[in-house]
Amino acid sequence: MEGDSSHELFILVNSNKHHPPLWADKLLNYFCRQDFADEILGDLHEAFYWRLKEKGPGKAKTKFAWEVIKSLRPKNLKSFYHFSLNTMILRNYIKIAFRTLLKRKSTSFINIFGLSVGVSAFVLIFLYAYQIISFDDHHEKKDRIFLAYKERITPDGVQPAFDTWAPMKDRFLSDYTQVKAAARIYETDSRIVKNNQYLEEDIMYTDESLFDIFTYPLLYGNEKNIFADKQSVVISVEVAIKYFQKENAIGEVMEIFLPDEDTTLLYQVSAILDRLPANISYRPNMMVQLESIPEYPEIANNWGSSFLETFVLLDQKESAAELEAAFPDLVETLWGAEVRENTNFKLLPYDQSYDQFIGRKADAYTLLLIGFGILLIAAINFMNLSTAQASQRMKEIGLRKVLGAFRGQLRTQFVTEAFVTSLLAILIGIGLVFFITPYFNDFYDVSISFAIFSPLQVVSFCAGLAIALGILSGSYPAIYLSSLRSIDALQQKIGLGGSVNFRNILVVLQFSIALFLITSAILIRNQISFMTQKDMGFNSQSTLAIRASASDFADRDQGVVRLNTYKEQLRNKSYLNEVALSRAIPTRWTRSFTFVRPDGWNGDPLRMRYTYVDAHFFNTYDINLKFGDHFLADSEGGDQRESVILNEAAMKAFEFDPSKQNIIKIGDRRINVVGIVEDFNFESLQIEVAPTLIFHRTAANPVHTYISAQISMSDLPIRLEEMEDMWNELGSTNDFTYYFMSDQVQRLYEAEKRYLGMVTMFSVLAIIVACLGLYGLTLFIIEKRRKEISIRKVLGAEIRGILQLIFRDFTKWVLVSFVISVPFVIFFMTDWLEGYHYRVSISWITFAITLAMVFALVIVTVGYQSLRAASANPVNHLKDE
Amino acid sequence: MNLQLGVLEEMILIILLMKDETYGVDIAKEYESQLNQSISLPAIHVVLKRLEKKDLVTSKMGEPTAERGGRRKRIYQATNKGYQAARYLQQKRSEMWKGIPAMNFSFL
Repeated sequence: MEGDSSHELFILVNSNKHHPPLWADKLLNYFCRQDFADEILGDLHEAFYWRLKEKGPGKAKTKFAWEVIKSLRPKNLKSFYHFSLNTMILRNYIKIAFRTLLKRKSTSFINIFGLSVGVSAFVLIFLYAYQIISFDDHHEKKDRIFLAYKERITPDGVQPAFDTWAPMKDRFLSDYTQVKAAARIYETDSRIVKNNQYLEEDIMYTDESLFDIFTYPLLYGNEKNIFADKQSVVISVEVAIKYFQKENAIGEVMEIFLPDEDTTLLYQVSAILDRLPANISYRPNMMVQLESIPEYPEIANNWGSSFLETFVLLDQKESAAELEAAFPDLVETLWGAEVRENTNFKLLPYDQSYDQFIGRKADAYTLLLIGFGILLIAAINFMNLSTAQASQRMKEIGLRKVLGAFRGQLRTQFVTEAFVTSLLAILIGIGLVFFITPYFNDFYDVSISFAIFSPLQVVSFCAGLAIALGILSGSYPAIYLSSLRSIDALQQKIGLGGSVNFRNILVVLQFSIALFLITSAILIRNQISFMTQKDMGFNSQSTLAIRASASDFADRDQGVVRLNTYKEQLRNKSYLNEVALSRAIPTRWTRSFTFVRPDGWNGDPLRMRYTYVDAHFFNTYDINLKFGDHFLADSEGGDQRESVILNEAAMKAFEFDPSKQNIIKIGDRRINVVGIVEDFNFESLQIEVAPTLIFHRTAANPVHTYISAQISMSDLPIRLEEMEDMWNELGSTNDFTYYFMSDQVQRLYEAEKRYLGMVTMFSVLAIIVACLGLYGLTLFIIEKRRKEISIRKVLGAEIRGILQLIFRDFTKWVLVSFVISVPFVIFFMTDWLEGYHYRVSISWITFAITLAMVFALVIVTVGYQSLRAASANPVNHLKDE
Repeated sequence: MNLQLGVLEEMILIILLMKDETYGVDIAKEYESQLNQSISLPAIHVVLKRLEKKDLVTSKMGEPTAERGGRRKRIYQATNKGYQAARYLQQKRSEMWKGIPAMNFSFL
């Protein structure tokens, strides 16, 4: 209320005429040199009233403010020394702060080094985590975007499937007013024909309405009419430069071979997409309209085959629930009442798509927490060391108080010192980040940089961090030190500065964080080495797979013949054994599904994966048969279409007893189960082995896309070269591409390894910073107890006894920290491990190792100084009184 | 005489020569009425300081007035050297202008 009335008063006084904006006036008065102020401000004021008459108050005021700002040229400003008294005291504080820093070099080093390491770790983590947390934030309507998908309700539970049907988009638009726009996406690979060469490039079949949903700014092109006609292609600026050596490639013609369509079509570039940030999920290279493909009329109204993604933009976020409630009726209209019971449509909010398809946002938040942890450890160092230092600054504080310093002033002084330290640390820390970033990116195969933020954002981030750190690390010392009574301070009655209890709590907190991080890192490590070393159920050691698809040939039939020749050639090589063909290979397993039920099963059919192999496949991969037989050799007749081999998971899913049953049904087709193989992990061990039907096709069948073989590892480069030369003679559009299965298995865990790498690195940093603080603290404690130690020695204490005296406290702290950290580790790591189907258990050995490690580190940190103190000649420390 | 003068510097110098004694706001008004173009005061201040440094103008502090909020104005006056400089530029320009061949507008 008070503020309001004074405001009214101000208006009352000034209501008769307009005034120049007060803030601008004050600003210039404060900063402008006194001898210039009359001229400049006088002129500005006079001009204000002149403009007031000519142009009105609005223009005059804006112009005034603008001219004030323009007048703030360096030449017109007061020099730093001419600012008021406040700044002089501040200057004195800063001077004292620097002197204190220089006077106590070891403490200053520990503080600044520890803080800057903490800051750079935090900033690195922040930059990395921000990329993940802000994933897809680029799309302005993100909140209202949903991915439509279907759910199968089966006895095992609900299975989501994200492939949808071509007519779904129009049906949604016509049936539901809440759907403002809908677009389909189907991504596949294509080949660009250029100078008789085929270059592989991803292509996206989509609708023009995609641009209404997602934010894809155009560099060139007409936003009202992005696809000029059905022969239009929209390309990214990177593709434009790659194929046309210029950004504006509008009007250029591209010859695109579409393997899915098996045709080559001519497209004209109608728009160029601007560059996109790194952290978005769909990064189109080339986009053509779905309607432009020759087969579109066949799929346009086909509710039978689902193969594309459908995105919808709703009028508001909340409409999603209404729509989901209305979907069952649509399902019934489309497929009847029976399907309504086991199928439903759902809407996935777009911000959940990262967790669904890419990774875990939770990991990014965990890393961020680690970053805060390290920063906290470094800040605690600073708090502890400054209060401990107090004992040495008693005289200074006492003297200042005697000479009339107020508590507030002393507090400001200590806070200033904290600010100077934290600002220095931040500058060094940010410098370190700039230096480390390239190595960090290289090492972890990520792409972080400051470039995603504007310089202003970076500066204000640093300033904010400096203030936060300054307050965090400076507040306790400031309050404590300024509260000392001057007489006590002068007589040095106070022992080791600061409440000992409070400091112990802080040290315990530091070590709890460090212990937590280290234990977690070890557990993550255990899980990853378990996954990479566990028997996958197939032989990955010397298995080589070569991509060999008939669709990679201009003429598919000829491709089959040539690949067969190639396979026979490989079979004759002495260094290759067990050459097999298959549709999929482990780690690049099938994504095709069919509905199947065992004979005599009354329930709903199960949705199950299927793939094709030739008769050699199981031998090549050393996959053991559990029941029944292998497929007959390829030479014994053609495709064994009526036979199937199940994996164990499928057998369990069917509740199938191989000794009694041997028939499964797909629709009305009856298929013989000839054998059951042991489960092998064709995907990451994060996921349980999925039930799979494995069908037989002879090597001559075009379904196969890989040739696998056991290769002897001697003279490998020569062998590979030979195979490549042979490949190049076939005339495939694809380069010779091969995979070593052992590499492939490792590659499954790249994300986990990166996560482990980061957690390890940052836990090591955390413990280093914590030990650094402990080292500093030891110095003070020993300094303070030197006389006590000397007297004890004079009275006959052994070195061992004195060491025990010093170590007792530290041991206590570490043990308490350990006890605190254990429940947190168990809680968080159980949660993390639950994300993996095949996982290690949390064993007590891990905790024991961590505890031993930290103890060893503490002993090394504290030990040298303690030993020196304990073995010193007592005379040296007793004689000066 | 070898003097580098910017266009704005020359314009303001000429205004000073026209007015005998003048100050910032007055120059701004004159500039706007002569050239039909607005100009900001800080720009004039900078130019005046520059001209003063080159000894083309001198200044002194004037009396405070009410409309300036009781602040004094700095009054500027062109020096003899300023007059010479402006005249020299003007002469040189006229000489050079003569060298431009008469335009032939017959194609219109």
